[in-house]
Amino acid sequence: MRDKLTPKNIILCLCICFLPLFMYGIDGIERFLSEYRIDFGWPGGDYVIRIVVRACLYMLLAVGLNIVCGFTGLLDLGYVAFYLIGGYTAGLLMQRLGVPYWFALPLAVLHGTVWGLLRGIPTLRLTGDYFAIVTFGFAELFFRVVRNEQWLIGAPNGQLRGIPSPSLFGITFNQNWHNYYHILILLIFVVFITYRLQNSRVGRAWVAIREDENAAESMGINVGRYKSLAFAVSAAIGALGGCFIAQFQVNISAPFFEFWESILILCMVVLGGMGSIRGAMIGAAILGSLGEILREVLTVLTRFTGYPELVGARYLIFGVILILLMRFRPGGLIFKKT
Amino acid sequence: MGAKKKEMMAQILEQLINGLVLGGIYALIAVGYTMVYGIIQLINFAHGEIYMFGAYIALMFILMGVPFWIAVPLSMILCAILGMLIDFVAYRPLRNAPRLSALITAIGISLALQNLARMIWSARPRQFPSESLPSFFLSEVTQTGEVINAILLPGGGILPFRDVFILLLAVVLMVVLNMLIYLTKIGKAMRACAQNAVAANLMGIKTNHVIAVTFAIGSALGAVAGIMVGLSEVVTPTMGYYKGVAAFAAAVLGGIGSISGAIFGGIVIGIAEVFGADIHSGYRIAFAYIIMILVILIRPSGLFGKSTSTRA
Repeated sequence: MRDKLTPKNIILCLCICFLPLFMYGIDGIERFLSEYRIDFGWPGGDYVIRIVVRACLYMLLAVGLNIVCGFTGLLDLGYVAFYLIGGYTAGLLMQRLGVPYWFALPLAVLHGTVWGLLRGIPTLRLTGDYFAIVTFGFAELFFRVVRNEQWLIGAPNGQLRGIPSPSLFGITFNQNWHNYYHILILLIFVVFITYRLQNSRVGRAWVAIREDENAAESMGINVGRYKSLAFAVSAAIGALGGCFIAQFQVNISAPFFEFWESILILCMVVLGGMGSIRGAMIGAAILGSLGEILREVLTVLTRFTGYPELVGARYLIFGVILILLMRFRPGGLIFKKT
Repeated sequence: MGAKKKEMMAQILEQLINGLVLGGIYALIAVGYTMVYGIIQLINFAHGEIYMFGAYIALMFILMGVPFWIAVPLSMILCAILGMLIDFVAYRPLRNAPRLSALITAIGISLALQNLARMIWSARPRQFPSESLPSFFLSEVTQTGEVINAILLPGGGILPFRDVFILLLAVVLMVVLNMLIYLTKIGKAMRACAQNAVAANLMGIKTNHVIAVTFAIGSALGAVAGIMVGLSEVVTPTMGYYKGVAAFAAAVLGGIGSISGAIFGGIVIGIAEVFGADIHSGYRIAFAYIIMILVILIRPSGLFGKSTSTRA
């Protein structure tokens, strides 16, 4: 993707930059129309922005997971561990110790990175299923710790309530459009870094490791070092996402970080085509918003049919998407891996 | 020996037996993982879900009024068909695809089946209705200290007949399975496929049939395990996920691909889990994960497995 200043791209950039303005604009139009008893079912600008923010967060996480899964070709089933570490580190620092967000953020990212490296050291020589299983076990252990260690979290089931919003110069960033620009800046930063990494010696080394580890090693690539770097960067991005969700959600609890969240992010990466940053982002945008829309649709359906278990269909659909993709388009729906 | 020490010994004995019973169940599930892995090198994540379906199907039959002794084999047969169906629909087209694709498919099936179960039977934990179970499963201690349908252990603990039954059933099924693998023609074909699927195919063994039979056997044993867990605990849609991974840990511990290893691993994980629950109940399942991670890191071939340098 060459950066071109085509009219299309400029319009896209403007749309992204002024999205909250448009959304609140529609709010205004609806308020104006409601005077004339016209209701076109607009769910509210704040609500739409919240969905967009969530989709952006998933885009961030998918780009992070893509580094390990897509570039180095190792199936990471425990990515949610870093998300969890970032979330609880930032949350605890801010809520318990009153650390400002701007200091908690780098600390949480650092903490995530450290764990990424710690997990990386013993798993360096594992490939394929065994790597997947160890990462799964690792994430599950973190999940147990958060659920059980009440002295640390302060409440059962990892409930951490009332995480303060970040503030600067007396302004508290707790509006939805604040969060939108917040995640947008983080996302642009992360995507920029990953693109630069992908097109560098490091990115080429990662892909070489994915294609053939032995050949890469014999070409003089220090496999251990490059894999560790991939784990560290990926973990840092995960922790960054966790950091954001802590202040975005205000209250977090253990079920936010269950195993299926890892699978959901994996599903996004696979949908877009493993190894493609753009693919990961588009996959995340589709599934991230699809999840929200499905939740709405299924809630409505539940109300109509009186059948309470329809909400489970959300994950059923994700599972079927994974199966069908692997069967018919293993290279991803959107971009084929080169 | 002091009274306190005696009491402790009795408690340890009781927990050891509990661990053995749980281990027998794990062994039944782990065999399904290990047999499939031995032949097509795939971690069949969906196996845990088949086991969960086994419990639910039996529960449905019993609620419909089918006697327990008929519901169990019916559930086994239906689960065997489900296992073969999964293989046929999802895994067979991917036989020559990269291993990662098959693994992701397995996760997808697991996710889909678990949520399907949640939709059909709701997330509410269920129990087998005690009135429709065989009477000797209902053990109790009467007011007078008389023990009904249970064995009195030295030291005051009781061992319900239900647990004896689970343990015996696990042992019998394992013996039958070993006979099947070492004494019959299909067993020979399975062993040949595990050694070298391509060579076996060249020798005229229909590999796809053998794999289907492997899935059927593993799934039927998984269904039994599911019913056994349903008898002693509760049936929930997530039971496959939790117990499934612990059973996979057992298969890894014993050396994946090795059936005797799976049995041994199941017992070790079962005992570790029961004693672990004594230390901290919240970390009950975590002990299985820790053992699994340590085994993979230190000795990836497991205790009984063939030693290979990498598992790609």
